[in-house]
Amino acid sequence: MADQAQLLPGTLDLLILRAVSLGPLHGYGILLRIGQISGNALLIEQGALYPGLFRLVRQGLLKASWGTSENNRRAKFYELTAAGRKRLREETANWNRLATAIGSALASQPEEV
Amino acid sequence: MRLLDSLRFRIATLFRRSQMSAEMEEELRAHIQYRADDLERSGLSREEAERRARIEFGGHVRYKEECREAAGGVFFDSLLRDVRFGVRVLRKSPAFTFAAIVTLALGIGANAAFFSVVRSVLLSPLVNREEDRLIYIQQKAPGNQVDNATFSIPEITDISRNLKTFEALGTFSTTDFTAQGFGETREIHAGVVDGGYFEVMGLKPVLGRLLDARDDGPNAPGAVVLTYKFWATGLGADPNVIGRVIRLGSMMQVRSATIVGVLEPAIAYPAETEIIANIVTSPHHLSATMVQGREHRMTDLFGRLAPGVTLKSARAELRTVYGGMTTAHPDVYKPQYHFQIDARRLRDQINVEASTILWVLFGASGLLFVIACSNVANLMLARTVRREAELSVRSALGASNAAIRRSLLAESLVLCASGGLAGVLVAIPMVGVLARYALRYTVRAGDLTVDFSLLWMGLALALAAAFFLAFVPRLPSADSSRGLGLTSGSNRFTGSSRRRIRVFTVIQIAASFLLLASAGVLFRTLLSLQKAQPGFETGHVLMANLPLLSDGRTPQQVAQFYQEAQRNVSELPGVEGAATCMFAPWRDGRFLTFALQFSVEGRERESSKEDLRARFRFVSPGYFATLGIPLIEGRDFTEADRGGAEFVVVVSKSIADRLFPGQNALNRHIMWTDPLIKYADISPEPRRIVGVLADIDDANIIPQPNLTIYTPFAQGPIFGANLVVRTKSDPYALVPTITKTIRAAAATQPVEGTSTLQDVRMEVLANNRINALVFGGFAVLALTISIVGVAGVLAFGVSWRTREFGIRLALGAQPMRILAGVLIDGVTITAIGVVAGGLVGWGLSRLAGNYVPELKLPEPLLLIASAAVIFGAAAIASLLPAARAARVDAVQALRAE
Repeated sequence: MADQAQLLPGTLDLLILRAVSLGPLHGYGILLRIGQISGNALLIEQGALYPGLFRLVRQGLLKASWGTSENNRRAKFYELTAAGRKRLREETANWNRLATAIGSALASQPEEV
Repeated sequence: MRLLDSLRFRIATLFRRSQMSAEMEEELRAHIQYRADDLERSGLSREEAERRARIEFGGHVRYKEECREAAGGVFFDSLLRDVRFGVRVLRKSPAFTFAAIVTLALGIGANAAFFSVVRSVLLSPLVNREEDRLIYIQQKAPGNQVDNATFSIPEITDISRNLKTFEALGTFSTTDFTAQGFGETREIHAGVVDGGYFEVMGLKPVLGRLLDARDDGPNAPGAVVLTYKFWATGLGADPNVIGRVIRLGSMMQVRSATIVGVLEPAIAYPAETEIIANIVTSPHHLSATMVQGREHRMTDLFGRLAPGVTLKSARAELRTVYGGMTTAHPDVYKPQYHFQIDARRLRDQINVEASTILWVLFGASGLLFVIACSNVANLMLARTVRREAELSVRSALGASNAAIRRSLLAESLVLCASGGLAGVLVAIPMVGVLARYALRYTVRAGDLTVDFSLLWMGLALALAAAFFLAFVPRLPSADSSRGLGLTSGSNRFTGSSRRRIRVFTVIQIAASFLLLASAGVLFRTLLSLQKAQPGFETGHVLMANLPLLSDGRTPQQVAQFYQEAQRNVSELPGVEGAATCMFAPWRDGRFLTFALQFSVEGRERESSKEDLRARFRFVSPGYFATLGIPLIEGRDFTEADRGGAEFVVVVSKSIADRLFPGQNALNRHIMWTDPLIKYADISPEPRRIVGVLADIDDANIIPQPNLTIYTPFAQGPIFGANLVVRTKSDPYALVPTITKTIRAAAATQPVEGTSTLQDVRMEVLANNRINALVFGGFAVLALTISIVGVAGVLAFGVSWRTREFGIRLALGAQPMRILAGVLIDGVTITAIGVVAGGLVGWGLSRLAGNYVPELKLPEPLLLIASAAVIFGAAAIASLLPAARAARVDAVQALRAE
């Protein structure tokens, strides 16, 4: 686990939105899904997930409802709202722009300047 | 919108909090269980798996707290904590807290009380069914100085024919009966109505029934309805009163009538009466005078709009119909009188006088609120500056601006809630006082009670003040929290706070100036009214109303009785003279200013063009002497000037001067020519002038020029009489003797309204006096608060500049110059405030002038005087801090930092 990357501030929300966009999930499921889609490359303290979830619910980007999980436990499921989907699209685009810019900046060679 | 949403969310979370907390707990626990399940599957024991899962999860309590904060439920929790903290902080500075709470209580209390009154008098609906369809129809003749002419029966017949915008019209007129059947025989005020009146008014009986179609017309049996107040207070709410037969006397005739019901409590307009009777009870209402006299106007007209009809279209139809009527009778509706018809909602008609007064006073109390808030804002600012170190420390320790703002809000909430509470307590007795005051202008204030609106208003004002006050102080910026703020203790953000304090002080001064100037106008009016000389004796003249009893006596007997009463009273010891007259000065409002057309023999041709009108007075011999009005020429009336003898008159000097300039007026003849005289039983025969009397005005407090013709009381007609008695010493001591003397001549004769003329005059002036007092009270209160404000600002400035003064003194500055500097500072603030107030006042009066045409701008002298008062007070308020500045000890000042 030592080679997992620290999350940049603000990116947890984006990851949550992305994970939930693939289908309704409960909290632990979101954690597993993030691990799965990021190839387990990111270090997320498990408890830190929840304040993020509550914040996103309050902002109206996620919608929560109680249901029964696959192993018959009561669990709270999160799904994207329309606003959440829109935000995910915008944030993804932003991220891509930022990543490209920083990537190209870091890849630049002395002779290109 | 977003603010409201977030507030709603916060309140919802507040109520859902315990449920949310449980759910949060369950969710976090479930997470740990899932993780433990996974770990268990990888081969760990259940116990070990759960332990590992908990460790991986991290600080459970901390995350729960973060969740709660993220979910937004935390706001009110923290606010409660802040409120507790705020209470502790405020308790530490009792002087500030006390000053702030008292100021707020005054501001909030006055407004809550006024709002309560305005709401129930002006805004709440009447009890009448569908009262927004209830219309009062009014006839005016501004060219003849008649504001509300009421209507005559022929007019009502003409108007109501084919009216489509009204469902029905109802008529109401007042008359006085001599009533037998309610204990002692007494004069009773009654309304006389047609059969449709109660249906139009939409009123219900509390007992029995009201008058309707079967009671209408000249052939119905006599029936009366008691008004609620008379039934409840005069008859002890006796339920057996229904069916009782009473006898009603008027016009020398007596009719009997059955009590059929009791009316629900309702606003009495145009007049409060004790009973409401059908037309048949009043011989006058059945007489040709009433039924055929087009100019015999004494009936108020009410209408109920047809469903869906607007007031505007009803007005339009009324004007069309009325226009047709006036063109059909050009002899009556002469163009120079500008006869016109108007209609407005009954509710508005009732409040026509009160609404301006109440809104103006409500505005004044609004100003007071602004002043109070500004003053507390000043106190808060000055305090925040002193608390700078504390706020800096809190900011440096990581408190967010929002958190500091919240704690300031909590403090101001505590302050304003206490102020609001105290304000409501102050307001409750105030409503009673105000209601009595408003009763002078509108009958609606009579049933005013304290209700919850008072509490809501208090609460709303307190909240408004709290939010305003919480956002007044500036917070330490990020710079000051890291920089010098902590170490040097002050002066970081005082610059902008000082500016704000000055702004608030200017607002206070401006508002006070406005209030002071308005109070000045009212006092000025009052003074000129009180200073006015009536031109006759008032202090030692007693006036008593001896209403005419219709108990079967002939007119000759009545005249004899009044003469006898007058003679007997004038012979009492302590009485200098007594006389009778028909109208009581100042008291008999409408009659006093009413003028009838007349002409002068030998001037007919001119007078037909010039529309000569004069007031008419019926007075007995000795009246002029009793009131001390000098006869300029000729003689007073004598006992010989009685009915059947030659008609004689005494005219006012103004008549002699105008009609007989440079000639002798005596022995010329004048005669009444007004078409109305036939209804009042006044003869049109020529009357010889036997005397010329000095000009007086018994109708207005400030004497106005007028033409008056005096005729002998005994030459009639007699509708009643007032006895005037001039006494040597205290007039009131004679009242029992006078009453006894009159009762000796007629045992059942009521003697009412005994009062000296001076007190009658005071009673008329009472409205002006109370208006002036109320506004004066406001102004004094406002001035006091503002002066404390000015003194506070300067004191604050002086303590802020202690070091500067110290240095200047150390360098050899004259203490006088420093003193003058501070004084000038105070006067400058005041000057800006006065100018601002003047500009705002000018703007407001321009604005108000659109609605209240009779609004007068205060004269310059008054404005200067108001300004002078404010400047003087401000200068005195500045002296204390200025003296302190001049006495600053240089060494100490430098060491203070």
